[in-house]
Amino acid sequence: MFNQRAVKKEGYPGEQTAVPEVVRRSRYPCRLSMYSDAPDVEVSIEEFETFALDRLQVLRAIEDAQLRAKGEDDMRKRVNEALEKHMPSHTNRSKLPPRQLVGERRKDHVSHFILRLAFSRTEELRGWFLRYECALLKHRFQNADLAEKQELLSSAQLRLAHLSPADRGAKLGNASSFYAQQEQLFEVDFERVLDLVGRSQVVLRAGRAFVPQSEVATLLIHEFRHTLTQALSVCAKALPQMGEDERLLPVLQNLSNQTARSEYQSTGAAGAVTAESVVGLSDSFPLCMQHLHSQLARDHHLRHGGRMQLGLFLKGIGLGLQDALVFWRRAFSAMTDDQFQKGYAYNIRHNYGMEGKRADYTPYSCHRVIMSNPPGPGDHHGCPFRHFSSERLRAALHKDSLPDPEVREVADLAQAGHYQVACTRHLELRLLHRRQNNQPQPDADIRLSAVTSPNQYFDLCLGCTKPAPPAAGADTASTAAAILSGAPKAAAAIY
Amino acid sequence: MELDDEKMQVDDGIDEISPMTLGHYYQHLFPHALYYKWLNYNGKLATTEYTHREFSFTIKDGIYLRYQSFKDSEEFQRELSRLSPSKIDIGAIFTAPPKHAKSLQPGVFKPVSKELVFDIDMTDYDEIRTCCQGGDICAKCWRFMTVAMHVLDRALREDFGFTKIMWAYSGRRGVHCWVCDERARKLDDPGRKAVAGYLSLIRGGAEQAKKVNLSQRNAQHPHIVRSLEIVEEYFEDVLLVDQEILLTRDRWTKVLNALPDEELRKIMDAQWSKRPDRSSVDKWSELIDAVDKRAAKKGSKFGLSTFERDLMLQMTYPRLDENVTTHVNHLLKSPFCIHPKTGRVCTPIAADQFDSFDPFAVPTLAQLLREVNEAPVHSGSAAKSTSMAPYIGVFEDFVSTVLPTPTGSQPSLDF
Repeated sequence: MFNQRAVKKEGYPGEQTAVPEVVRRSRYPCRLSMYSDAPDVEVSIEEFETFALDRLQVLRAIEDAQLRAKGEDDMRKRVNEALEKHMPSHTNRSKLPPRQLVGERRKDHVSHFILRLAFSRTEELRGWFLRYECALLKHRFQNADLAEKQELLSSAQLRLAHLSPADRGAKLGNASSFYAQQEQLFEVDFERVLDLVGRSQVVLRAGRAFVPQSEVATLLIHEFRHTLTQALSVCAKALPQMGEDERLLPVLQNLSNQTARSEYQSTGAAGAVTAESVVGLSDSFPLCMQHLHSQLARDHHLRHGGRMQLGLFLKGIGLGLQDALVFWRRAFSAMTDDQFQKGYAYNIRHNYGMEGKRADYTPYSCHRVIMSNPPGPGDHHGCPFRHFSSERLRAALHKDSLPDPEVREVADLAQAGHYQVACTRHLELRLLHRRQNNQPQPDADIRLSAVTSPNQYFDLCLGCTKPAPPAAGADTASTAAAILSGAPKAAAAIY
Repeated sequence: MELDDEKMQVDDGIDEISPMTLGHYYQHLFPHALYYKWLNYNGKLATTEYTHREFSFTIKDGIYLRYQSFKDSEEFQRELSRLSPSKIDIGAIFTAPPKHAKSLQPGVFKPVSKELVFDIDMTDYDEIRTCCQGGDICAKCWRFMTVAMHVLDRALREDFGFTKIMWAYSGRRGVHCWVCDERARKLDDPGRKAVAGYLSLIRGGAEQAKKVNLSQRNAQHPHIVRSLEIVEEYFEDVLLVDQEILLTRDRWTKVLNALPDEELRKIMDAQWSKRPDRSSVDKWSELIDAVDKRAAKKGSKFGLSTFERDLMLQMTYPRLDENVTTHVNHLLKSPFCIHPKTGRVCTPIAADQFDSFDPFAVPTLAQLLREVNEAPVHSGSAAKSTSMAPYIGVFEDFVSTVLPTPTGSQPSLDF
C-alpha cells in the first residue's frame, strides 16, 4: 500500500512531494491514529510526565472551548491553538524534518496511553476522558486532508460497503429522498451509529441504518468510543498492578486530580441551613432552583426529576437530613403523614446516603442539569436557559427587574446555546445591581468565570450579598471584593 | 384441579384485594406455564435467563422486596403463595442469581440483558386531555393510547426490525411494551437511549408551550412521515370532537400559546371570545385558515407553515417516559399481575386489537374469583372458563413466537 503511494505522484489534490521515506518506514507513517496498539517504546520519566500534562492541557482546552466557543469556527480555532501550543502535529506533506514528525506522533501516541491509565480509575474520570478524547479525534478527523481521512478509515477497518443505486432504490424506496441524491450511502447495523439514530439523522429499515458519506466520521468516532470504553475497563483492572513502580503512580494520580472537578464542593457559605431558612436563601438560588422552589410552593408538589434536582442542591448548600425531611414534609402540605412517609421520606433519606447502597449522592452540576434527563410534560426541572421557551425565559428574567437590554443580552446567549454563560451573565448582572444599590458606580462591571454548578452559583451569589461584618470579617470582605472585581484566582479557587 | 373445597363464600371478602384473594388468583388463574416459557426463552429446562432474572415483590403495607430470583417455576409459585405480593415487577437478567447479590464482590453483580421496554402513562397527557386528570381514564382519552400503540408498534417493527413485541395494559391508566427480540434484550443503556430518542418527539417541560419543533429535514424522516399519517387519522376525532380542545378560553389559550405569531394569537383570541360556543372542529379550521393566509404573506421563516403539522403531533404523538426505556436495570410491572388500585388484571393487548381494546372490559380479580366459583368443575385450567380466556390466548400466541423453533412435535401448551 505505501509503495503504491510513493510512486503515484498525482491523485491527491495539493500533494507536491511523496511521503518522506524515513517517515514512511517509521513506526508512525500516519499522523492520525485510533490508538489501537499500546506503545512499545521507551520514554524517560520526564517525558512520561510532560507528554501527559501537555495532552491533558489539550483535553481541558477542548472542555473549555465547548463551554465558551461562539460557533464552530471559534471552536476549531480554540482547539487548534491549544494543539499548536501543547501537542503540535504536522502532516506528511509539510516540509519538516522527518525526525520531528515522528517525534510529534510518538508524543501523541504515548500521551494517550498514559492518560488512559491515569483516567481509568473511576467511572467519572473514564467518562471525562472518553468525552474529550472523542472530541479530539473528531476535531482532527474533520480538519484532516482527504488522504489522512482515507488512511484512518482504512486502518480502522470499519467494514463498510457502499450501497449501489439499485439497492438504494430497492431497500429505501421513497425514503431515499431523505438523503441527497448524489450522496453515497453505507448500510450498517443501527447499533453502530447510535448518535445518529437518537437524533433521527438516518433512515432505519429492519434494524439497518443507512449512513451517508458525510456522517462516516460519526461512525468512526462511535467505533472509537466503543473500543476505548472497553479498553478503559481493562486498564482499570490493571491499575492495581502498577503499584510496583513507585515513580509512576504519583504522576498518574496527580494527572487525574487536575481536571476541573464536576463535583463541586460547597464552601458552606450559608452556614447551618434549616427548613425555615431555605425561603430566605432562595434569593441567592440560580434560576433553575428558584423556579423549582416557587413551583413547589405553588403546587405543594414536585415530580421526581424536580425533587432530585432541588433536593440534592439543598443538601449541597447545607440542609441536613432532619431539616430536609421537615422542609419537604411542610412543602407537601396536601398529603397525609402516612403518604409522605411511604412515598417520599425513603427517597430523601436515600439521597443522604441513609438507605440502599448508601451512596452519598452529589448535587448536580450544570452539565448534568442541561444534558441529562430532559424535562417532559409537567416537569419543572432542567435548566431554564435551555428548557424554557424564549418568551418564558424573558418573563422570568424580567421578574428580577433587569432592564430590557440586559434581558435581551442574557436571552440571546441562551438562544445561541451558551446556557452556562447566559446563567453566569445573569448572575453578574444581578450582583451588579445589588452592589450599585449600595454604591452606585456607572462604569462598573463584574466578570466571573463560567458557572459550572448551581451550588457554585449559590456560593458566589451569597458571598457577594452578605454585608461585610464590621471589623473581624476582613477575609470575607476581601474575598467578596476579589470576586466582584473578577480576579480570576479568587474565582478559580471557588471551583 | 379440584376447586370444590376451595370455593370461596360469596361474602368472604371476595371483593377485596387481600393476600387471600391474591393467593387464589396466583394459584388458579395466573398462567404459570406460559409465563415461565416466556421468561426462560427456552424449553422446560431452566436457563440463566430465568434463574438470573430479578423480580421484585410489593407485599403487605407497601414493603418492597428487591433481588428476588428463582431456580424454576415451582419455586416462583411457592414464593407467590407464601408472600401473596400485591405487585410483581420484572427486572434485568444479571451475572448471578439476584438473591445472591449481597454476598458478591461489588462490581461482579451486573445486569446483562433485559427486554426493551416502553411505558406510556396517561398522566403525561394531563396537559392535553380535558375529559379526565391524574389516575382516571375514560373511553375518550384511552384513544391516546391507541394512537401511541399504532405509532410505536409500526416503528419498532418496520424501522428496527423487531418482531417479538408484546403490548400490555398496565391495569389502570397506561400501556407497556415489551420487546423481546434477542437483539433488543442485548442493547446496552446507550442503545436504549438512542431508540428512545429516535421515538421521542415531544420535547419540553411545563414551561415550553410548543413542544414539537421539527426542522424541514427532520420532517422528511420516514418515521415522522409515517407517524404523521397515523396521527392525522385520529386527530380530528380524538382532539377536536372528543376532547373539544378549543371549546373554552382556558383550553384555546394553551393551543394559541404555541403560535409563534403574537399578533395572530390576539386576533384569534378576540375572534373566538366573541363567539365562544362554536365547536373545536370549526375553530380549528378557522385557525388553520388564518395561519395559512398569514404564512403565505410572511413567508416560511416564521414557523407558521409548519404549525399545523407540529401541533397535531404535539397533541397526538405518543408521550413516552424515556427513563423507563433507557436503563437496562429498570424494573417494570409484570403482565398478569393485579393492579392494586383497580383490581384489574394487567392483560396483554394483541397487535390487531389496538383499536378494539377496551380497558373497562378487562376482568377484575373479584369478577374472576366469582366466575371460578360458579364454573362447573372440569379438568384443565380454571382460567379457561373465565373472562381471562381470551387474554391468555393472546399471551399464548405471543409466547409461541418467542420460543426457539421446536425440534420435535409441539405438545399443546397448558396454562
